Amino acid sequence: MRIYEWFDRRLNLTSVERTLLDEPIPGGASWIYVFGSATLFLFLLQAITGMFLAIYYAPTPDHAYDSIQFIEEQVAFGAFVRGLHHWGASGMVVAIGLHMLQTFLYGAYKSPREVMWMVGVVLFLIVMAFAFTGYLLPWDQTAYWATQIGLNMVGTVPLVGEFLMKVMRGGELLGALTLSRFFAVHVLFLPAILVTMIAAHLFILRRVGPAGPWTDERASLGRETFYPRQVYMDAVVMLAVFAILASLALLVPFPLTDKANPSDTSFVPVPEWYFLFYYELLKYVHGPLEPLATWVLPMVVILGLFFWPFIDRNPVRNPIKRPAALVSGLLFLLVVFSLLGLSIKNLYAVPRVDPALARGQALYQQFGCIGCHRIHGEGGAVGPDLSYIGDTRPDREWHLKHFRDPQSVSPGSFMPKFPLDEKQLNDLASYMLSLKRTPS
Amino acid sequence: MSEQQGGLEEGGDYTPVGSRRTFFGWVTKVAAGLVGLGLAIPLAGYVISPALKRRVQSWVEVGRVDSLPEGEPSQLEYVTIVRDGYLEAKTQKAVWAVKQPDGAVTVFAPLCTHLGCGYHWDTTDRQFKCPCHGSVYDVTGAVLAGPAPRALDRLPTKIELGRVLVMYKEFKSGLSKSVEL
Repeated sequence: MRIYEWFDRRLNLTSVERTLLDEPIPGGASWIYVFGSATLFLFLLQAITGMFLAIYYAPTPDHAYDSIQFIEEQVAFGAFVRGLHHWGASGMVVAIGLHMLQTFLYGAYKSPREVMWMVGVVLFLIVMAFAFTGYLLPWDQTAYWATQIGLNMVGTVPLVGEFLMKVMRGGELLGALTLSRFFAVHVLFLPAILVTMIAAHLFILRRVGPAGPWTDERASLGRETFYPRQVYMDAVVMLAVFAILASLALLVPFPLTDKANPSDTSFVPVPEWYFLFYYELLKYVHGPLEPLATWVLPMVVILGLFFWPFIDRNPVRNPIKRPAALVSGLLFLLVVFSLLGLSIKNLYAVPRVDPALARGQALYQQFGCIGCHRIHGEGGAVGPDLSYIGDTRPDREWHLKHFRDPQSVSPGSFMPKFPLDEKQLNDLASYMLSLKRTPS
Repeated sequence: MSEQQGGLEEGGDYTPVGSRRTFFGWVTKVAAGLVGLGLAIPLAGYVISPALKRRVQSWVEVGRVDSLPEGEPSQLEYVTIVRDGYLEAKTQKAVWAVKQPDGAVTVFAPLCTHLGCGYHWDTTDRQFKCPCHGSVYDVTGAVLAGPAPRALDRLPTKIELGRVLVMYKEFKSGLSKSVEL
């Protein structure tokens, strides 16, 4: 406190503190106002974890994958830091979604806050650009093929599409130049733009003030200062968000797929969940109509969102009194979530999970098979790589014989006989057969 | 701001006071502290961890005993694969080996103990000479002249089936005792 007073006498901090903390909130502090702060918190978390990831990350096709694997397996807390960054990205999309939903519901985009809404839409698009550029960086199969598709979609834009795609890709093929420019955009360009736009967003907020409740009567009931109650609510939510992300990072492993292999076209990439609805939409539109879905529709939605304060000119903020806006918003969400739901259903309907697989996998761990065999880059190199053993050895009988007595099917093999009962033999064989290039 | 200050500030804004205010402030600080700790501990470990890893040393064959002349130092190639983070790199060092009359082999680290320059064997003077500051060692590695603070550092060596195996190590320069890096 002594130090604070010393600085305060020289720099007059108390007035700054008052300006920052005594911002009046019409109608008082509320748990509904936490989404903006939660998004800001997530951005800071992404910035911090991102900086730390950059300590070990190498943005070249030769080393990107190895450096991420190094972070995952060798660096203390490496998997945790990468997990936080990965789940934080999803968290950010959720927080922005809720923040926009709340703004929409409260009619907070209406005059005089149109510019704040438009800056907000730009912020949302920047976050999406972060997600797209960040997805390529691990340089694994998912990253490579998902980006390939994303770039091809840019290519369908008439006239400038192909040129634009080549600029983004940095030439004729998706490779070293693509990775380094995606990296530079992800860690230098986008953060610079994002910080500027956040500053603008907050500056406008302080100029026009928070919107508060949608009825003037309730807003005029009281004007509570931002500190201490809204700060307390924001802090509690930030702690909860951190607890959720930390648990996800610790409990849900987020492994790499195989290293990017441009020659392996059998890989079926799946975009991040927040692009899934769009991915699903593209399945229904083919042929000459494709550009309609790949760029006309997104363009219309983005422009509609951006200019929404001028489309919805009804000055009333109470949601009940503006059914048109509410219905169009609901309709939009309904379409997005139906597509998302359909997509998830389709994705998970395909690979039926056989409980024998999990048991087989547990046996694989239990008997230390990983000491000699490698699956997707993990494990020893003494025995054969089993990543796609289901393709190369599709015969169950062979596996059963092999586990009972390796010498009987591969003479000279020094794999020991393992004491397995019939059920265990079958489970382990099921697991081996499931290791295929394209999961059935 | 004092806690006794009224709930209504100038301009008619309401600010909770007293124990309510204390509670909000307390929860805010605990939340900030927990998030801070939850980040600071893993991130510190994340940055520090490579500094705490010991280099894995291994025995590397540098040549065969038969091919070494007795009592005459020869420079041998020490080639090994080093793991540098996520990279695996081949490194080469040149070590000096002397076969003793009893068949044992002494291997010297290739750096002068003064400041770490590379020295060479002068065949006419039968001395190891460092070109930088004029340190001179005899065939057993003992200091004969110059600023060298100690004899040449010896590398762990063993002979297996006629092969000379060496474990490469680096030592701090400028000290009177051999201290491994």
